[in-house]
Amino acid sequence: MYQFPAKLKTISYALIGIGLAALLYGFFAGGADAGHGHGHDNRPWASLLINNFFFLGISLGALFFLAVQYAANVGWSAGILRILEGITSFLPVAGGIMLVIVLASMFHLNHLYHWTAEGIMDPESEHFDSIIHGKKAFLNPLFFILRSVIYIIGWAYAAIVLRKLSLQGDRGTDLTWYNKSIKTSAIFLVFFAVTSSMAAWDWIMSIDTHWFSTLFGWYVFAGIFVSSVTTTALIAIHLKNKGHLPWLNDSHIHDLGKFMFAFSIFWTYLWFSQFMLIWYSNIPEEVTYYMPRFGEFKGLFITMLVMNFIFPLLILMSRDSKRNFGFLSFMGAVMIVGHWLNVYIMVTPGTVGLDWSIGFVEIGTFLGYVGLFIWVVFKRLAAVPLLIQHHPMNKESEHFHI
Amino acid sequence: MANTKSIISALFDDDDVLLKSIKSIREKGHKIREVYTPFPVHGLDHELGLERTRMAITAFIYGVLGLGVAMTLTYYTMIYDWPQNIGGKPSMTWWKNMPAFVPVLFEMTVFFAAHLMVWTYFVRNDMYPGRKAMNPDPRTTDDMFMMEIECSGDEELLRNLLKEVGAVEINLVSKADEAEALAEA
Amino acid sequence: MHYESPVREPLITGDKSYHDITVDVAKPIETNAPRSWWIAFSVSLIAFLWGIGCILYTIGEGIGVWGLNRTVNWAWDITNFVWWVGIGHAGTLISAVLLLFRQKWRMSINRSAEAMTIFAVVQAALFPGIHMGRIWLAYFVFPIPNQFGSLWVNFNSPLLWDVFAISTYFSVSLVFWYVGLIPDFAMLRDRAIKPIQKHIYGILSFGWGGKAKHWQRFEEVSLVLAGLATPLVLSVHTIVSMDFATSVIPGWHTTIFPPYFVAGAIFSGFAMVQTLLLIMRKMFKMEAYITIQHIEMMNIIIMVTGSIVGIAYITELFMAWYSGVEYEQYAFLNRATGPYWWAYWSMMICNVFSPQLMWFKKLRTSIMFTFIISIVVNIGMWFERFVIIVTSLHRDYLPSSWTMFSPSFVDIGIFIGTIGFFFVLFLLYARSFPVIAQAELKTILKSSGENYKKLQDQNHGEH
Repeated sequence: MYQFPAKLKTISYALIGIGLAALLYGFFAGGADAGHGHGHDNRPWASLLINNFFFLGISLGALFFLAVQYAANVGWSAGILRILEGITSFLPVAGGIMLVIVLASMFHLNHLYHWTAEGIMDPESEHFDSIIHGKKAFLNPLFFILRSVIYIIGWAYAAIVLRKLSLQGDRGTDLTWYNKSIKTSAIFLVFFAVTSSMAAWDWIMSIDTHWFSTLFGWYVFAGIFVSSVTTTALIAIHLKNKGHLPWLNDSHIHDLGKFMFAFSIFWTYLWFSQFMLIWYSNIPEEVTYYMPRFGEFKGLFITMLVMNFIFPLLILMSRDSKRNFGFLSFMGAVMIVGHWLNVYIMVTPGTVGLDWSIGFVEIGTFLGYVGLFIWVVFKRLAAVPLLIQHHPMNKESEHFHI
Repeated sequence: MANTKSIISALFDDDDVLLKSIKSIREKGHKIREVYTPFPVHGLDHELGLERTRMAITAFIYGVLGLGVAMTLTYYTMIYDWPQNIGGKPSMTWWKNMPAFVPVLFEMTVFFAAHLMVWTYFVRNDMYPGRKAMNPDPRTTDDMFMMEIECSGDEELLRNLLKEVGAVEINLVSKADEAEALAEA
Repeated sequence: MHYESPVREPLITGDKSYHDITVDVAKPIETNAPRSWWIAFSVSLIAFLWGIGCILYTIGEGIGVWGLNRTVNWAWDITNFVWWVGIGHAGTLISAVLLLFRQKWRMSINRSAEAMTIFAVVQAALFPGIHMGRIWLAYFVFPIPNQFGSLWVNFNSPLLWDVFAISTYFSVSLVFWYVGLIPDFAMLRDRAIKPIQKHIYGILSFGWGGKAKHWQRFEEVSLVLAGLATPLVLSVHTIVSMDFATSVIPGWHTTIFPPYFVAGAIFSGFAMVQTLLLIMRKMFKMEAYITIQHIEMMNIIIMVTGSIVGIAYITELFMAWYSGVEYEQYAFLNRATGPYWWAYWSMMICNVFSPQLMWFKKLRTSIMFTFIISIVVNIGMWFERFVIIVTSLHRDYLPSSWTMFSPSFVDIGIFIGTIGFFFVLFLLYARSFPVIAQAELKTILKSSGENYKKLQDQNHGEH
């Protein structure tokens, strides 16, 4: 049975410490000098939202991937399902913090969401915005909180049910749990299809309140999925290197590498579709979104694209690089940072704006989340065997060879 | 060329038997000249010690070529030769106009990579319309697997070995001198 | 090693050997056509001839003989074009994407699905051609300097992207299909008794002999082609969607169009594959290879893609409201409740609601039900394109030019003609080509054949 190594635990505590320090610094020390606007005050909150959404996305993406494995009767992946389950254990944690952020925003503790601003929905007020007022039926605090609660409870519930069922797979050869998992997964996937887009509209798109894009939900989903497949590959490689996953061979890791490659391209495809159509049509209400991103954020924006598209395209194309663990881990790290930057650029222009910079607050919070993630996920991994003992695909997965 | 060499063909009726037999035949020092199978047998190339094919690399090179051609074409026509203001798209530099060229860049890349790779495949396999069939026995496109072995040493021993490993039919294809002529041609 | 989990159903039923597969695949070619084939062929041929008549009439008189008017200047022609291109997506999807995902069940259906793709793209390519009016000037679409000096084609135009996309897609699909066909042509050549057949299949099979090195290259080439065809298949319908989405017309300009068109294309393509395979399965008695499980798998894909399309419809509706742009809002309100409400709701019922019935195992394993739904889905997908194209145009910014569209007999005739042409090609193919990729199918016999699976389970039980 796998034990949570003491060294890793210490590292995770240290990282959590850095994260807390960064947030405290952001909230108290950073806000000390007066004379700054909303953007400056928003910075620690934005950093929290960026990192929390990023890691929530990773665990949600893993849950999606897990459900697909069951729903599509996948054989090769039987040996990595426990890793996916481990990652999903972060969902309730990140979900809880997400609710805190949502509540804080709705009760005006920050100004992440422009549509919550004072008087913006009030025709009498000088801050009145008729376009935002038109969205009131959807963008109002009560409904917003309610939706967030529904998403998070729904996802967490699915993760818990799938975990419970999979634990039954350790006990005996009876396959009831397997068939139930397939059904649960199918139902979850329907729920996910609707809520993943809506959550992206709510938590991210409504920051730039005037702007809208029908593709946005799917674009965010693609980013989430790439990040979580990459995380899965990184954890699998780590555990394999430590000798804990004897049932995995190069082909399994190769396959995860293929997913990283393919969905990086898919992500780019959606990025390009959204960007190009807006660039081409050049309609004022849409193109505003890309003005700051090709303005003051240009360097970051292009860097992010290079990390998430050019790098995986050129490096992960060859078969050998997907079978080289060191190479793949390096690419994984690049892509994690790249997709973190993607979330950063989605959130920052509308919340922090011109006051932006990537400093101790952002990087520290990110490290803190890495620590928390490691602590939660590896504790879960160490709880039960790393292989579902009586999964009907185990033998097929073991013989997997490409 | 040693003049003791002659070519023996052995027919198998099962792919797993064929795969297993290769190892023992090669261990005895016989050279397997060719194997004809009705479908791609997984792991056969590995057993025979064939090198990895470089088809994918050629596709990559052709793809880069296609991308280059497409870039040149769009630059020459839209920016250099006759720039126009079309729907307000920036035509001053290629980079600024590039988002509109991406679909064509992509299609040309795929077009070159796919077609030129398939041509290379035909050339390397020496295949063309109307070519004489390469398999000596028509049953090898149905359910039989044929192996051609260069016999060095005692032919009878090889025959016994082949029977042992499960060949269902063994024939002498050519005597030593014929084999040599064949090798030279 | 041919191990496969016992929870999987066999993909080849009955006690089949390698030789049986050869015989079963060669049978439709080596025997006389069943009567049902002749009936289907005659009907299709008549429809095709009628279509040729209508096309010639259009070319002779000009496209004024269609129902187009100044407000609705794109209608049935482009609807049919997009519909056919969409149908032409399933084949490459099955052979490429499912190959990359190692779905073994694709093997007995990929050949026919690819054939369908190619024949559908032929129909699609007809429409932009005849819509030019002066089809003899069709070479203008290629980047060649013309007689006025070096005035080039416009690479900023999505219509030109279409030229590149469709021609690349058509030619690459054709090549992909042909590379796979060669070993099967060789099998037919080696079995042929009549000298003419032997000669023809000899030419077609390029001298294939199944050498180990050739198989190795074959597998790599197939894999690379699959890797190229997967983004290609996505790009084609993406670019078709950009014909609309790059514009500034409410109802056309929306960012979700590229992936949503692709999902719709897969949806309609699978429905058409389903229609054709059910006919072929019956006509040539292929029940052992195209099993209920194959049909069920395709139904599940139809259900999933139908749901994706449904979500896209709802997203569009919601965003139209959320955008706060009154023209956007009106465009969608007009779709659902305006004079074309019947087209909109036909689309909704056929595409979003009907596939949801596939959640029931009883229904998705019923052949009759599947056949009906496959046709319903294609009707629905035709309406989808009609709704997008016509309802976005017929009430534009100038209320004085608001109008309706009604097709002329030529519009209808050409559409019917393409359906006839499509079936003529498919029926000819079914009589002369190996309709199942037999060489590939043989590779899964030992892991997924019913008899071998039984054997494997027994061995497994013993120790």
